[in-house]
This record gives sequence, C-alpha cells and structure tokens, in this order.
Amino acid sequence: MVRINRRNVLKIGGAAAALPLIGSRAFAQKAKVRAAFVLIGTPDDNGWNYGHDLGRRDMIEALGADRVETTTVTNVAEGPDSERVFRELAQQGYDIIFGTSFGYGDAMLKVAQQFPDVKFEWATGFKTASNLSIYNARFHEGRTVLGTISGMMSETGIGAYIGSFPIPEVVMGINAFHLAARKHNPDFITKVVYVDSWFDPAKEADAARALIDQGVDVITQHTDGPAALQVAEERGIIGGFGQGADMSAFAPKAHLTSIIDIWAPYYIKAVQSVLEGNWKEGSSWEGLAGGEVVIGPYNEKIPADVVAAADAAQAGIIDGSLHPFAGPITDNADTLRVEAGDVIDDGEFWGVDWYAQGVEA
Amino acid sequence: MSIDITIAIIITMVGASTPLLLAALGELVVEKSGVLNLGIEGMMLTGAVVGFAVTYDTGNPWLGILAAAFAGMAVSMLFAVLTLSLSSNQVATGLALTIFGTGFSALFGQAYTGKPIALFKSVFPDSLTDDRFLRVFFDYSPLVYFSLFMVFVVWWFLQKTRAGLILRAVGENDHSAHSIGYSVAKVRYGAVAFGGAMAGIAGACFPLILTPQWVEGLTGGRGWIALALVVFAAWRPGRLLAGAYLFGLIATMELYAKAAGGAFRILPSELWASLPYLATIAVLVMISMRRTKSSSAPACLGKPFMPNN
Amino acid sequence: MQFRLEKRAEISRSMLYFTPVAAVLLTMIMGAIIFTILGFNGAVAVREIFLTPLTNSLKWQDLAVKSAPLIIIAVGLSIGFRANVWNIGAEGQYIAGGLAATGVALITHQMSGWWLLPLMGVAGILGGMAWVAVPAFLRVKLNVNEILTTLMLTYVAVQLLNFLVFGPWKSPTSFGQPQTVLFNNDQILPYIIPGTIVQAGAPIAIFIAIFAWVLMSKSIFGFQIRTVGTAPNAARYGGFSANQTIWFSLLIGGGLAGFAGMLEVAGPFNRMVPQFPTNYGFTAIIVAFLGRLHPVGVMVAGIVLAISFVGGEIAQTTIGLPNAAVGLFQALMLFLILAGDILVRYRIKRVGQKSEVSSS
Repeated sequence: MVRINRRNVLKIGGAAAALPLIGSRAFAQKAKVRAAFVLIGTPDDNGWNYGHDLGRRDMIEALGADRVETTTVTNVAEGPDSERVFRELAQQGYDIIFGTSFGYGDAMLKVAQQFPDVKFEWATGFKTASNLSIYNARFHEGRTVLGTISGMMSETGIGAYIGSFPIPEVVMGINAFHLAARKHNPDFITKVVYVDSWFDPAKEADAARALIDQGVDVITQHTDGPAALQVAEERGIIGGFGQGADMSAFAPKAHLTSIIDIWAPYYIKAVQSVLEGNWKEGSSWEGLAGGEVVIGPYNEKIPADVVAAADAAQAGIIDGSLHPFAGPITDNADTLRVEAGDVIDDGEFWGVDWYAQGVEA
Repeated sequence: MSIDITIAIIITMVGASTPLLLAALGELVVEKSGVLNLGIEGMMLTGAVVGFAVTYDTGNPWLGILAAAFAGMAVSMLFAVLTLSLSSNQVATGLALTIFGTGFSALFGQAYTGKPIALFKSVFPDSLTDDRFLRVFFDYSPLVYFSLFMVFVVWWFLQKTRAGLILRAVGENDHSAHSIGYSVAKVRYGAVAFGGAMAGIAGACFPLILTPQWVEGLTGGRGWIALALVVFAAWRPGRLLAGAYLFGLIATMELYAKAAGGAFRILPSELWASLPYLATIAVLVMISMRRTKSSSAPACLGKPFMPNN
Repeated sequence: MQFRLEKRAEISRSMLYFTPVAAVLLTMIMGAIIFTILGFNGAVAVREIFLTPLTNSLKWQDLAVKSAPLIIIAVGLSIGFRANVWNIGAEGQYIAGGLAATGVALITHQMSGWWLLPLMGVAGILGGMAWVAVPAFLRVKLNVNEILTTLMLTYVAVQLLNFLVFGPWKSPTSFGQPQTVLFNNDQILPYIIPGTIVQAGAPIAIFIAIFAWVLMSKSIFGFQIRTVGTAPNAARYGGFSANQTIWFSLLIGGGLAGFAGMLEVAGPFNRMVPQFPTNYGFTAIIVAFLGRLHPVGVMVAGIVLAISFVGGEIAQTTIGLPNAAVGLFQALMLFLILAGDILVRYRIKRVGQKSEVSSS
C-alpha cells in the first residue's frame, strides 16, 4: 500500500500540519485492486449518480469480489471539499479513484500530482495527466435516436428540452435531438427551458407544465430524475424519455424509451488494467458503438415504422454511416455553420455555443 | 396571451404558490408570538418525506398529509424545547433544525427513492375540472383549498379571537403579557407547534401536488422563500396570500416566458430569480418608512424570554 | 417537587467549559446508539468521526483548511452578535468578497507582482463590506430589520455569481463550462508549509481571532460593543452611539466574510465557479454560537465543526456510513451544545409545591 513518510510536524499557533510524502511503488500486477468512487449526489437519484453506481456494481460482479474492493463517497461538493476527499482516499491506499463530476477536475489534478502512484479517472473531464485519465460518453448519440422518435411521433411538431444550465454537452444534446427530429419533420420546433438549477424537481415539473401548456407534446430533459416525465404522464401527451436510466416505472404510458448510461465496460477495463499493471493515461469517449450509451426498451405504443427508423438511426451511428452533426447545419440566426458534406468533429464539439435552426432557446 | 394560456398559468402558479403559502402562514403565527424559527426548510423536508412515505405505504394521501403535519410538529418541538425552555439562541437553533431535517429526511427517505405515487388531484367531477373555463376554479388539489381556508383561519384567529390577541400581546411585549398572568412559554409552544405542522403540510405538497416522487432535498430551498414571504406580507395573512401568489407568479412566468421563446426574454434569468428577495427588501423599506404599528415586525421577534430576567 | 431555573448573578465559569465538553461526550454516546440502531458499528463510527481526524496527523492540515474560513467569518459575526446586531447573511458577503477578488484577478490577469494578492485581499474585504453596507444603511436610517435584509441579499449574491460565471466572466478555454480562467501564479495563495495544502488562510484565521480577542477585551471599542449589546441604555448615557456601533459591527462582519471569500477563491479554488458558495457563511453562525461569541471559543468551535465534516467523510469511506447520518449527527451535536448553554447562565433549583410566581 501507500507508504507514508512523516517528516517533522510543524506547529504554528493552534493549527498543525503534516507532510505526506509518498514513497514510490513498483509497477506490477496486483492480486486485488481497491477502487474508490466519488459522487456529486447519491446513488438514489435515478439518474447520473445511479448510473455510475450501477457501473460500479456490475464491475465488481464481472471481476469478482476477491479481485476488487470498492468504496463510494456521496454528496461531495466540488471545490476544496472534493480535494479533501480525493486526498483522503489516496492516503487510505486506494489504487484507482473515479471522480464523476466535471467540477472535480481542479481538485483531481492537484491531488494526482501529490500521489503519482494512484490512478485517477475524471468523468466528463477535458485534461489528462500522467496518472489521470478522462472518460466520457457520447450521450448526444442517444439524443439523435430520441429526436428521430420525436420528429415522427409529435403531432404538434413541437418538442421540448429541459436543461439545467447551458453547458456544451447540453447545447449539443439539444442540437442532436433537434437535427434528428427535423429529418422527419422539417418544421419541427424544439423549445428549450433552462431551470437554472442543478437540482430542483419541483421547478422541472413546472417547466414541463409550462411547455405542455404551449403546445409541446414530446419532452426530453437533461436533468436527473423523472419530474418532467411524470408531468408528461399526468397530462397525457405523446410522451417523454428517461434520462440516465430506464424510468418507465414512473410513467408507464408516457415513457417512450430512455437513454441509459452504462459505465460498467469502462470501469471493468480501467480496474482490469490496474490489476494487470498496465494502466495508462488516456481519454475515452465511447457512445452507442462502445455500449456506454444504450437505448432502453421501446414503449409498446410506438408504431413499427418509428421503431424501425429509431433502430436505423442507432445502427447508422454504430456503423458510422450516420453522423449526428452532418452538414448542412444552419443556426437559429440563419447563419450557415456547417457546410454540406462537412460534420462537427470531436474537436469542434466542445466549442459549439449556438443552436440549430428551429430551436427556441 | 390567449385565455387558455392565462388559465394554464394561473393553475400552475397556484400549485407553485401553495407550499409557500402554507409554510409562511405557519411562520407568520410563530413570528407573531415573538419567535423566529429559521428551520422551515428542515421541517418542510421532514413533512415531505413522511408525507410521501405514508401516502406510498397506505395509498391514502389524507393520511399522508396528517402524518406530515405531525412530523413537522414533532421536529418543531426540538426547536421549541431548546429555545423556549432552555432559552438557546433562536437563529442558531433554527439553522441546526434545518441541518437536522435535511439529514433525517435523507436517511429516512432512502427506502422511498425511485418509487412513484399518484398525485393528490382535484376531488371535483371531471365536468368541472375539464371545463375550459371552470377549471380555473376547480382543477386544484384539496390542499390548495385547505391553504386558502387557513389564510382565513389565521386572520380570524389573530384578529377576532381572544387567544389571538394574547398571542400578539406575547409577541409585542412578553414581559407585560407575563405580568398580567399569561404564560409566554405556553403560547409560544403552541405557535411553534402550529408553525411546524403547517411547514410539514407544505413539505407534503411537493410529492402530493407538484412532483410525485421522493428525492433528497426535494423542497429545493423554498423554506427560505417562505421566510422572506412573511416579511414581504408585513405579518398580515391577507397580504401573505397576495404575496405567495405573486412569488409563485414570478417563478411561473419565468418558465412560461422561456417556453414561449425569444420574445419574452427581456431580463437575465438571474434577475428574475432575485426578484422575490429584492422585492422583500423593498417592502421592508416601505414598511419602515411608513412606521405603522400594524405592519411592523413583532417587537419581541427573535428575543428569548425568561420570566426572571 | 418542581424544578425552576434561576438566573446566575454571573455566568458560571466552570459550566462555560464543562457544558460543551459534556455535550460532545453525550453526542458521542447518543451517536453510537443511533448508528448501532441504523445497523453500523456505532463505536467505530463515532471513533472515525471524532477521533481519527485528531489522531491521524495527515488530517490536521484538512482541519486547518476547513476551519480557517469558518473561524474568520465567525469571529466577525460574533462581534456583531455581541452588539445585538444580527447579520445572518455572511454567506452573501463571503460570495461578494470572492467576486470582488475575482474581478481584480481577472483585470490584472496579465500582470505579475507581489502586490496582486494584497490588492485582491483589499478587494475582498471591500466587496464584503459593500454587500453588508446596504443592510447597515437601512438599519441605521430606516430601522429595517437586518436579520431579514442580510439573508435576502445572500440569495441575490448567488444569482450575481451565476450571472457572472455563466456570462461575462466565462473562461474562453474551459470548453464552455461555467468557470473563470485559472488565476495566475501571483494571484494564488502560496503554500506556507512546503509539501502540505496549508495556505495563508489558517495562520490568518489564528491572527484574526487573537486580534479580535485583544480588541474585544482590552479596547474602548470592545467595551462599546459589549455595552451596546448588553445595556443599550447605559451605552447611551455613556455617550456611545448605537448607530456607529451598528455600522462598525456590520462592516467588520461583512469585511471579514469578504476576506474569507478572497482567501478561498485565491486559495483552494484558484478560480471562480458556481459551486463557490459552500455554506461557510451559515455554518459560521453556528460556530459563533458554539464558541459563545468569544474569539478563542470560536476558534475551538471552528475546529470541532471541521472535525465533524472531515470525520464524516472518513466514516463514509471506511465504514460506509451514509452522508445523511453524518448530517443528523452534526445536528444532534449542535442541539446538545445549544441546550447546555442554559447551565452557564442559569442554575437549576429544586423548589417545593409552594413555589411562588417569580416577579418580572
């Protein structure tokens, strides 16, 4: 385990501080890996944190409890609190630590530097280090499938997207959804409402009510939890979608399908590589093809031709014949952003701050 | 704006306002007795989780509401014993109560996350709730009518009953009230218990009329808005009703304006979100400038009372 | 047989020290019982929360980092509370101070020099003071209740923060995420002990607490604050201006909260993010009361609360104690310490049936 050299302890006034120095370790195979997970919320959220916790459990099952042991720290605030938790876990001798929120980045980069022998994995991050990898999922590919279903099924031709804050992942989710819907209904409109909160189910529900009252009949959301979906069920509109996990229990009639986050393959790979002693700094961004983003079961009420189109979209993305952001794309201020024959590639993805034509944001 | 949208906005606005109104009515009575309980959020969360749990387990929302009221009252007694019997500081104790309610509800609710219940909807016949115009009167949960009824009850109690007069006297001048033979502590215990029950019911509004689920932190900080609302209403039940619906309208209009698209978006949403708080400060300033007795803060608000002081 | 509380002529010294210790011990016992009922090893859970942060020297620096802002803010608040001035919006002043310091950092981002950090510090203090100046003005000129105005302005500060980091201050290089650029090296507090994470905040907190102690106990100003708080009429006869006292105590509280905001943003954060408000301002109110409004008591209370936060995380990682149980445990400790307060100021007297109604 981690060897800690305690140098002298300096006392200044009442506060004392200790100096951790980490001895180096041989790079070798391990009999058992200790993995830690740091979550921004709790695994009961039916969404983002639930997905990561499910991935952790499946990873243990796949590798065996005799080969991996895990711990989870929940409700860890970003900033200095998370820095302390990461350091605590590193000091406790965890071999690999997963931080599952964008805002953990600064803290992880700092702690990773102090503990060069511990591996760090930053979900949705954008910067790596020699012992820090990043991993993310192409959720927008799932949005393409939802957009396909919405474009074909919506009777009013107006869909909605409820988001927390306008961050790039959300902006691109909206664009993917909308562009796919417009392929089937060229007049499709996507109304966007940001609730300006990371977590406020009552406000999400009221946002859904406001949208449905203004003609929306399909709703998708980029926030955790089933609040919007439950309103869709109550109002009897065509439907909505689960986000992060299958949410059909909350809305049996309105739940059309869901985007399910599957982190297990990545977690298995990462922990396996620590077991084998060949973990490397890297950047992973898998989607439908890699099995990280999965479309859940379809609701029985979806017509066969829509199911076929949704499956075709999914297959197209997996085999590469369909790109979610293929040109020509015009933005909602009528500027041509992507030429015909061109696409928004992975490098350009994070810089997009505009919405496609027909998005009302 | 069409009539249909107007009616829809009113219905959503009333739903959003109801928990604010209930919690603030309770706090109004508490403050009128001279006690400042900052633990509304904690009591609301307790009411929300207990209301959800009982509704889920029994399938009966009425029992859920009753249980939420008792749960809110029970935790409010923690505050009452500390501040009234042991004269601890009300501000610090109220904040501790919020920490307690947040922790308790999260722990107790672990068994109930990921489980749906049915909304507690209008009990009127479909012919009324589905009517294009009449639904503006009938398409509400019984909790909404209860909250309106309680506005009247609180007004009547404070203004028309002897008990209400004593409660106000205790809040305005505890020492005089004590010297003419009223038990300051008993009156305040009663007020805090009522405030707790109302906050508990307000919490139960979240799973019962807004979003039928339980998750940690479901009330999303509304307890603090309820606190602002009491001040905004200058401690008057009638104004509280108007204030609650105004706060609800600000929050609701923001969402409807966003859903309507570009045309309505004149202000940054951060300014929208600040409006209730800025308006409350403005009202405080106006009250102070007019200095009318009936609309200023109870004189003993937040001060501990010990008879042998 | 009845019990009656009788006010002590003087606060009890022994109770002053005894009750908090007894409350913490009682919390440990009750906590162990509750955790056992919840299906955990109660004794181990309590040990992890209360003792591991103290016995594991690696945790001391965490305690220093976590308690420093709490102590700085609580010292400022306790001065105001002593004068019966109820600033409960320190969270907003902390945010305003952090924003002011960030503003300076962004303007001077291309510059370097030793003077950047002091400038940011001054900006932080002024930011906090500016945020509290509105309630101070309204209280002095119009007698508007400062409990409510300071609290309301906290929520406005949060919205201002969101507006800035999602709008004009958003970094062009952070892939559209709401955060400012990373401060440059001269805008980040240095580590004062090499190899640790302890930055200037911890020694500054100690210095401020000691300074406040001397100020409150030895200076005319301290006397003025205490007199206005305990005997407003005497203060008036003594020629102390109540308005001046309100201004001073609010500006000190706001200034220190703003300064704590600067130390946090230039310390552990190194940039402004929407997650900057971490309830330090509210927790500091509790710290101020647990420390009985005395600067040294505040220091101890700040460390005790930091222990419960740090220890709570340890208990989560080692024995899987849920975060919510830790919150419940903290609330229990606060309740018990607050309950113990009564024994400092009152003694319990057993009285017979004939107990007379006390005079008022």
